[in-house]
Amino acid sequence: MGTLNFILKNIHTVLFLTWEHIYMVGVSLIIATLIGVPLGIMITKNENMAKKVINGANIMMTVPSIALFGLMLPVLALIGEGLGKVPAIIALILYSQLPIIRNTYVAIKNVSPSIRDAGKGMGMNRWELLKEVEIPIAIPVIVAGLRTAAVMNIGIAAIAAYVGAGGLGVYIQQGIDRVYPEMILAGALLVSILAILVDGLMALAERMLTSRGIQIQKRLSR
Amino acid sequence: MITYDHLTKIFGEGQDAVTALEDVTFTIEKGEIVIFLGPSGCGKTTTLRLTNRLESITRGTIEVNGQNIMDMNSVQLRRQMGYVIQDIGLFPNKTIAQNVAVVPKLLGWPKDKIQERVEELLSMVRLDPGIYLNRYPAELSGGQQQRVGVARGLAADPDILLMDEPFGAIDPINREQIQDEFLKLQEKLKKTIAFVSHDIHEAIKMGDKIALFEKGRLVQYERPEALLTHPKNKYVSDFVGADRALKVLGIIKVKDVYNPNTKNVVQSSDMAQTVLNAMEQKQSKFSIVLNQGKPIGYVTPKLLKYEQGPVKELVETFPLHLRERTPTRDALSFMLMYDFITLCVVDANHDFLGTVTYNDIQTKIKQSYANEIDQEGV
Repeated sequence: MGTLNFILKNIHTVLFLTWEHIYMVGVSLIIATLIGVPLGIMITKNENMAKKVINGANIMMTVPSIALFGLMLPVLALIGEGLGKVPAIIALILYSQLPIIRNTYVAIKNVSPSIRDAGKGMGMNRWELLKEVEIPIAIPVIVAGLRTAAVMNIGIAAIAAYVGAGGLGVYIQQGIDRVYPEMILAGALLVSILAILVDGLMALAERMLTSRGIQIQKRLSR
Repeated sequence: MITYDHLTKIFGEGQDAVTALEDVTFTIEKGEIVIFLGPSGCGKTTTLRLTNRLESITRGTIEVNGQNIMDMNSVQLRRQMGYVIQDIGLFPNKTIAQNVAVVPKLLGWPKDKIQERVEELLSMVRLDPGIYLNRYPAELSGGQQQRVGVARGLAADPDILLMDEPFGAIDPINREQIQDEFLKLQEKLKKTIAFVSHDIHEAIKMGDKIALFEKGRLVQYERPEALLTHPKNKYVSDFVGADRALKVLGIIKVKDVYNPNTKNVVQSSDMAQTVLNAMEQKQSKFSIVLNQGKPIGYVTPKLLKYEQGPVKELVETFPLHLRERTPTRDALSFMLMYDFITLCVVDANHDFLGTVTYNDIQTKIKQSYANEIDQEGV
């Protein structure tokens, strides 16, 4: 009850922090998509590269977020951005790469060879094949990767409060410092709700972006 | 016209190199269906995939209508050729209409022309455009998908069609039907077709010529009946099977064997006793009765004995009549089934053309094999 009261009493701050949180995750997800999806597609043509890139993204995931902020701090300090939203967004971009690249790579790789062969044999060039056939078929899995990345990043963004990036993590961090359980709970609760909401929204996007033909195929093959 | 000249294809390099095709030379004439036949790994699919440059040529040349394909842009080349594959490879994200429209769209046809063409093609492969235009591949049966695959291959009206076991994924009953429909289409369209198959029956039925491959080499390139009656070596005769004489029967049509000058024919108005006398004189056991040029049945001395009046009231009817394009295999089968050694051949108007007897068929088969027996005697 105390937590709910706390949220209602501080509704303005709550909304602001929530907005900051969404902003960080949103911006990082857009940039991560612009990097990860083309990269994921590119490495389908080069097995050697694929292994290296996916391993790299894997290693990235093993670095604890706090440690990553610490490592970036002296580097970004050189351009005066050691603290705040910039390191937070960069970290989020890096963490999103694995699900995005891996899903894109797997999805494109899994397009049936006979479909690719038919397209090529009919005289589609690389770009036409990608645009007309491979990407539309891969879309559900690619969007699933984005969904994983988005939900994961909502969690990681909470920690970014420690480098002064703002967001709902501020409540958790300050709540711990001030031994203020309602504040901690409010932060945790809001982060969780946000994650669930975003997960639902991404599921909806996944359905909307998937071609009807593929939806029918999935339904019938079940 | 497609000309393969000393074509060689080697996959891999150095120690891992595998020769898939070795020094293959032959020509597919304009308007002909040529079947690339052989067991898996014999090079038939490789030859097809070299034709539209899905694989690169190691040595030799391929010319399409006199032009070396290596001098052409590969994408342009492929758009000039229809391509139909066993796994069909319809795009699941596109509707049937969009699938068929792929190549016309790549070629930049105007929208209404594409629409018109798609509907025309779907009707041609016997899929009602009203029902199927906006369906998705997943909603169609395998046979229907294969029809769409064929329609897609024909979409831009290419002169040349490359087909890689196009009917391989269909159940036997539907396959027969689609093959028949496709042959009817081909009679009208007269495309130049390279057709990969591993099925000797399909090859005999579909092919104007058969190119039989073994381990990357072209063993024999012949018309189907020549391949059956004059196999070049043991590999060919094993491949076409021990029952090749029976297979020849499937190719030889009634029109090749029937006797247009049958003697034992009488008119329906002839009197029974006159006919009986004539038959007894000639010692014939059997007369075909014509009524205004159409066969209405037959009479035997036994039927005519003690009878008066015209023979037309005494005839026994034939169970069926043959047409000129009936395969002799079917004719023979009817003879066995109905215990007849003579059957009538009629035209579309049901007018009498002549008769086929068991002997006629046997003589023709013997003729086909005559040369082979000579060769073996040497």
